[in-house]
Amino acid sequence: MKFEDMSIQDILKGYREKNFSAREVTQSYIEKISKYDSDVNAFISINEDGAIRAADRIDNKIAKGEDIGLLGGIPVALKDNISTRGLKTTCASKILENYIPPYDATIVKKLNDSGAIIIGKTNMDEFAMGSSTENSAYKKTRNPWNLECVPGGSSGGSAAAVAAGFAPLAIGSDTGGSIRQPASFCGIVGLKPTYGLVSRFGLIAFASSLDQMGPLTKNVKDCALSLQAIQGEDKMDSTSYKGTITENYVENIDEGISGLKIGVPKEFFQNGINNEIYESVYNSIRLLEKLGATVEEFSFPATESGLSAYYIISSAEASSNLARYDGIRYGHRTDEYESIEDLIVKTRTEGFGQEVKRRIMLGTYVLSSGYYDAYYKKAMELKNKINLTFKDALSKYDILLSPTSPILPFPIGEKTANPLEMYLSDIYTVNINIAGLPAISIPCGFSSSRLPIGLHLIGNHFQEKKLLQAAFSLEQELGLDSRIPKF
Amino acid sequence: MKINIEDVKYIAKLAKLQFDEKEAAVLAMEFEDILKHFDNLQNENCDGEPVESAKADTFLRSDRVSVYENKKELFQNARAMRDGYLEIPKVIE
Repeated sequence: MKFEDMSIQDILKGYREKNFSAREVTQSYIEKISKYDSDVNAFISINEDGAIRAADRIDNKIAKGEDIGLLGGIPVALKDNISTRGLKTTCASKILENYIPPYDATIVKKLNDSGAIIIGKTNMDEFAMGSSTENSAYKKTRNPWNLECVPGGSSGGSAAAVAAGFAPLAIGSDTGGSIRQPASFCGIVGLKPTYGLVSRFGLIAFASSLDQMGPLTKNVKDCALSLQAIQGEDKMDSTSYKGTITENYVENIDEGISGLKIGVPKEFFQNGINNEIYESVYNSIRLLEKLGATVEEFSFPATESGLSAYYIISSAEASSNLARYDGIRYGHRTDEYESIEDLIVKTRTEGFGQEVKRRIMLGTYVLSSGYYDAYYKKAMELKNKINLTFKDALSKYDILLSPTSPILPFPIGEKTANPLEMYLSDIYTVNINIAGLPAISIPCGFSSSRLPIGLHLIGNHFQEKKLLQAAFSLEQELGLDSRIPKF
Repeated sequence: MKINIEDVKYIAKLAKLQFDEKEAAVLAMEFEDILKHFDNLQNENCDGEPVESAKADTFLRSDRVSVYENKKELFQNARAMRDGYLEIPKVIE
């Protein structure tokens, strides 16, 4: 088997049996990236020297018989909004074009401590605002399943990197679906953990009350293992969860789902859903029933208004979070200016892309005097109502199920002229961030045009274990071809 | 019309951004569409729903000053330094 087709578990087994070295694995991925990333554009920067050095350290440990860690010798691609000490971190924005963080994000520390090898930083929609990775200031990432299509977004570079066989693991961030939707578009597994389970320290903020980081992998077991490595309390993030958490997600992952109660929000299967997605998800529902689960419909009436609440809250938070980019301490600074006000306005106008400016404007508008009550306050009230709806549903069901996206990966350029249409593609994922729940997208089939389709499972707060067990059972039963696409 | 070019310019001023006439017209049009979609919020009866503020289970670390040893690394993104301070453009004549 080629390294690029191997799962994390396969690579770890190879190390245990001394079939190959971490240097061989890392070099093979770097070679693949240098040969083929010009087709996919998954990466903004490659950490070649650092990765080889880290691989040698792992090989030394293996030679000495030392523990290499949970993800020892596993190359990982990081979304470019995750702070990496000494490695350029741009958020795919001109405003941070040459920004080098002086510290590591907690998730980076944890990955390093568990032996993972940072292989590069991946492309994304600028400041994670978008659903297609077309909003990057640097390049447009292409979907490895069809290079004419988008990989989804905003973690499109991370998803494409795993799908293309450039890395067995990538980390993304998910504010309204930005891990799950690209995972779905690229035919891989993507998990958004419960809000607070993974520290956000060092994740460059978009919407702080919604942002969460999580793994993108080839299969569910790899996802479970990766979550173990990155989770946990952190005193550097005041919203980090300090209660007891599950330590081991891999153990008993194959327990089966007999007796599992699954709820299906019927509004998620109505207006605007692609027919092939509908069929594919229903096929999985029948499989889950065959495996012993009971599946029932329930009503989630706030589906569309939840999307409005999401765009109001996230834009409001973004307008505040992005106020820090003023060209004074770091980042882009305009060349010519007449006053301090002029310097700030010109710097921001030059440094931010169109979509980021649109969100800052939207956020400023909904927070401005006269509109606050109609938009922001109303959205926050609805947030509470959405929380209660999910609470009620998750008291009746163990897991909720829906498609990840109502649409298939679309051709590059198709939706860039209409921001609202792009926003509508997030309709099944945003409500989960509003409620802070964990959710996973796994591949559940292909369209007739051979584009991946994703299925979305949602669990209760900190019930990732149950979520991963259900996802694993379905994945095994579906038995989809997990080989990487030819592009 | 919910929003016109003048509104866009006023919000831009608050957001410290600048748009020319053409860009402002496009933004006004896009906002019109987006805000129309946001109107579906008004169909939701949220009377009596509390607005969540900071969660009770968040925690703060103690506010203690500590010295950051690697100043060079910390300020590596600054344009210029003078006597241990960030040098910024002259803003007062």
